[in-house]
Amino acid sequence: MDFTRRTFGKLTMALMGAASFGTMAYAADMPKPFDDPGKVKIALVRYLSTGDFFESYLAGVTAQSKALGVDLRVFDSRQDAALQSDMVDQAIALGVKGIIIQHGLTESMKAAAQRAVDAGIKVVAFDVNVENPKIPQIEQSDRDLARLALEQAVKDNGDEFKAGYVYVAGIAPLDRRNETWEAFKKKYPGINQVAMFGTMDNPIANSVANQARSVVSAHPDITVMFAPYDEFAKGVKIAVDEAGLSKSVKIYSADISTPDISAMREPDSAWAATAATNPALVGQVSVRALAMLLAGEDPGHNVVVPPTLITQKDLKDKDIKNMEELSAKLPQFAQTDVAAPKWMPVPKGK
Amino acid sequence: MNTDATNTAQSAPKATKTAKAGSSTPTRDFAIRYGFLLLVFAIVVYFSIMADGFASPQSAVFILQSVSITGILALGVTATLVAGGFDLSIGSVATTAMMASSYVMVVMNGDALSATLVCLAIGILIGLINGFLIVYMRVPDLLATLGMMFLLLGLQRIPTEGRSIATGMTLPDGSVASGTFSPSFLALGRYRFDFVIPNLVPASVVVLVVLAIVIWFFLEYTRFGRMMYAVGSNERAASLAGAPVKGYKILAYVISAIFASIGGILLAARLGRGDIASGNNLLLDAVAAALTGFAVLGAAKPNAFGTAIGALFVGILLQGLTMMNAPYYTQDFVKGVVLVFALVFTFALSGRNRR
Amino acid sequence: MNATAIFRVENLRKSFGPNRVLDGVSIDLQPGTVTVLMGANGAGKSTLVKTVCGVYQPDSGSLTLDGAPFAPASTAEAIRAGVVTVHQNINDGVIADLDVATNLMLDRLTGWGKPVLFNPFRIRREAREVADKMGLTVDLRAEVADLPLADRQMVAIARAMAHKPKVLILDEPTSSLSSAEAERLFDLVERLKAGGVAILYISHRMSDIRRLADRIVSLRDGRIVGTFDGPVLDYEGAVNAMLGEIISHDRIEVRDGGDIVFSARNLTLKAGRKPFSFDLKDGEIVAITGLVGVGKTDLAETLFGARRVVSGDMTLSGRPYRPRSAADAIATGVFLVAKDRSASSIVPDFNIYENISLPFLKNLSLVGVSARSRERERARAQIDALGIVCRTERDEMFTLSGGNQQKVTVARWLAEPARLLILDEPFQGVDIAARRDIARKLRASADGRATLVFLTELDEAFEIADRILVMSEHTLCGEHINRNLDMERLLAEISGQTMTVN
Repeated sequence: MDFTRRTFGKLTMALMGAASFGTMAYAADMPKPFDDPGKVKIALVRYLSTGDFFESYLAGVTAQSKALGVDLRVFDSRQDAALQSDMVDQAIALGVKGIIIQHGLTESMKAAAQRAVDAGIKVVAFDVNVENPKIPQIEQSDRDLARLALEQAVKDNGDEFKAGYVYVAGIAPLDRRNETWEAFKKKYPGINQVAMFGTMDNPIANSVANQARSVVSAHPDITVMFAPYDEFAKGVKIAVDEAGLSKSVKIYSADISTPDISAMREPDSAWAATAATNPALVGQVSVRALAMLLAGEDPGHNVVVPPTLITQKDLKDKDIKNMEELSAKLPQFAQTDVAAPKWMPVPKGK
Repeated sequence: MNTDATNTAQSAPKATKTAKAGSSTPTRDFAIRYGFLLLVFAIVVYFSIMADGFASPQSAVFILQSVSITGILALGVTATLVAGGFDLSIGSVATTAMMASSYVMVVMNGDALSATLVCLAIGILIGLINGFLIVYMRVPDLLATLGMMFLLLGLQRIPTEGRSIATGMTLPDGSVASGTFSPSFLALGRYRFDFVIPNLVPASVVVLVVLAIVIWFFLEYTRFGRMMYAVGSNERAASLAGAPVKGYKILAYVISAIFASIGGILLAARLGRGDIASGNNLLLDAVAAALTGFAVLGAAKPNAFGTAIGALFVGILLQGLTMMNAPYYTQDFVKGVVLVFALVFTFALSGRNRR
Repeated sequence: MNATAIFRVENLRKSFGPNRVLDGVSIDLQPGTVTVLMGANGAGKSTLVKTVCGVYQPDSGSLTLDGAPFAPASTAEAIRAGVVTVHQNINDGVIADLDVATNLMLDRLTGWGKPVLFNPFRIRREAREVADKMGLTVDLRAEVADLPLADRQMVAIARAMAHKPKVLILDEPTSSLSSAEAERLFDLVERLKAGGVAILYISHRMSDIRRLADRIVSLRDGRIVGTFDGPVLDYEGAVNAMLGEIISHDRIEVRDGGDIVFSARNLTLKAGRKPFSFDLKDGEIVAITGLVGVGKTDLAETLFGARRVVSGDMTLSGRPYRPRSAADAIATGVFLVAKDRSASSIVPDFNIYENISLPFLKNLSLVGVSARSRERERARAQIDALGIVCRTERDEMFTLSGGNQQKVTVARWLAEPARLLILDEPFQGVDIAARRDIARKLRASADGRATLVFLTELDEAFEIADRILVMSEHTLCGEHINRNLDMERLLAEISGQTMTVN
């Protein structure tokens, strides 16, 4: 990707909240309908919104939308599947040109997505399978995430250890990460899972901490905790710290955020590594894939945003304190050329 | 005609007495008074045998710590139950306090004291508003506090536009928050006092125990607590006995909101960040503890001791079940069973139901 | 006893736990006859009624209706069979949040085979018929919650009538009705009697009994202790059988009272009503009597600071008295034993001593910390003084009979010295024995305060008061010394026929 200084300046201003400032200057370079992007309305229909990942995802969607200059509407169903489906219809009624469906249930969203497609609206879906060939699926590769974290765990601890595992069934990304975990246990018979626990009770970190503490007191010989969701990992870390076991237990997780970084950087932090796809990047890719569809291009049916492994050592060696510095100092985390044709403006930074 | 005129006039009321008090027997009385405590004891014994490491001082402290936050909320909601009301807003008061303390420290670079004071002030203010809505605007308690719950859910997100608060976060104006959680504030969630074993009792447990004793003493041994019970049991009778009923009701909501904000402070201190969360699970667990408390010692009414036992009981069950690798949904199920059992115990067996 | 009995109760027994409440009760009811059941509170009347109408199942004994065995499993079944009960507690007989018409038709809305759809027009039409037949004059669209107690009772009775019962059981139906309303009820009972309905009428009120009874059955300690019939009924015998003692009919010794403790000048209770004045003296007991709804409770609450004075002045012990709240009144020594103890006095979650110390906790506690031993000591003294029947002062209120509950609420206010003690209908739902205990205690302790009692029942006023004031249309309209008083004038004043000028 190459950026002119002016593009950079413009995008920074867009990020500062001066929306659509100067967007028209580049209109001529853009394919239809982005030659007049102010008239392009797109909708983000969300199922999950609470937590750092989703905030960051939204930031990415917002940043990319501003970079394109399109008019973004956000619908947040807060885990209400029926409402999310209604929201797609609301978006259709609003006259949007494109819709991003973010999470949700296949059962409730499949029909809604089809209605949108029938209405001539371009749709992309992130982390929910709407079973529609016309709808590209944006994915962070959960299997890759789990694989990266677990490979690091084996690298650090050898292939024989007692493990605690945090898992709540029925949540698609966690289920996919679980498949990898199951495969790993088969591949390395020396990995002994002595406890499995987990809860989505709000606030998640607090509830998981309560559980994890019970687990570490029942099984003080656990050396590896696999918590493939950062809210889980935070809870486990609180429990391990409270039990005074931070030197003997290592936590491997998925996802990342600024508070996660500070938690990993703490002295003697048990949180050894996490594998993460930059949620903001996923957000950007979602918008870009949608934009390609609108411009008549094909982003492909499966748009996969590759993950990055982030270890405690990386963070300390490179003195990374927050997501901005992570993006700046681990370039593979900050950018991707997924769904990025030449004409596409790309936001820089977070 | 067979008139028996030899008995005294007192015999008729005496018959009344024995007839009406008659439906209880010693075994039944014993079961009602001590049944629940025996059940708690039996569960503890069961887990001690079944789960290694359950019967240890550390484990006991873990249980206390895991129930400290919901326990404090439950003690607060007990006050509103005593006064004949209900407070649905405690969960979101707690998360609002958590967000507020994080905001004061991380965004405004405040210290631990100001963060704590801001939270307590927020608690008092919310309690006063709840009380005002219920007492003066005559909004039914469930509806007023439901409204407050939603209001706070939204309000706590406004300053950060829905982001969680942590050091290094990006603020709505694009700048980066530089403040940090002060170590003395974090100590509220993390410091441990020496008690028999060094570093055993966390600060949050101490807060829980102190608040439990304070509210217990207030409700049982002060005339204000007694009048609060009177207000909850028969508002008109309390008012005709000269009690400032409105004042007591508002006081109950203020107590509830202050306790909830203290819970929020401890939550922030434990998590070390301001997490966007609804707090509904906190609400449900707290209410379950307070209602379970009805069954303790056959009180059949809200009481601080029962609430503390109720919270502890739920904590013991969750700790034991987790140690035995029971998945989270069985824990919700067990919580529900406990609550239903306790309520049946309270309402069907205790004979409080007047014929 | 009588071969033509339509409803027969034979050897009925019912126990709760170890306590036998009904110990072999047998009663026959004949069509076209009013049988009055008398019994002190706790004699087993309510249990008998509830067993007969299907709320409780008997332990042994049998019921026969029309010659066939009758064993209702529920009230609904009893009602369908033609045994209808109007319970003492008015709010059990009506649903407060529904309108009068729906209440009247309520029993037609439940049960199998009833139409699913609710036709408000038809309901109202049918309710109108029932109401007309009953002479019920309330607005059928009014919500029952908005009606005064007396009208609610009429609705509850009218609702029972809608079933065309064979056996009608009325459990103290006049306890909250005014005389005019009671008269309407009596007319109705006589009409039903003429129509061949067998009526079981439960009451304490001699005026009702004299007016209606064809037979009297006395119940005591779960046994029938006397049956009285024939052309001339032995009322005294019935009362004596019920109480198990000869009630003395000594008139009280009327006192004149000492210094004036309280006086009201040109008091107005309601805008536009005539102002009135009165004085209350130390040591005397003054009864204010009048029909239901003439402003007695308004006056009681005004004196107690629970209601604003419209205009006028009050003085207490020579000083201006203008309480802004109940707390104000209590602080100056004006106490009120409020009407309707379960709604206004009893704290159901509290035991006896907690109920007694309720208003004076401040005096009984040290720096806000309550001293339970002192509370219990005070309660024990009151239990002895009033003869409250209980195991200990820690008994729960619901274990007490109505009369004993009322004694507790009176004890609450006798525990501290009053300047003015007000009692509003203190004998409502109280058996005769308890009523005499309370009256005796009030008279014995009357010195040092003025006592004002609001009573609808004249008999009760004669029993307790030195002086009787009559209230009508929110003003006072007559005064009598309780000594050879002019009954005719008194009754005329009560019914509002004469308006004396102050």
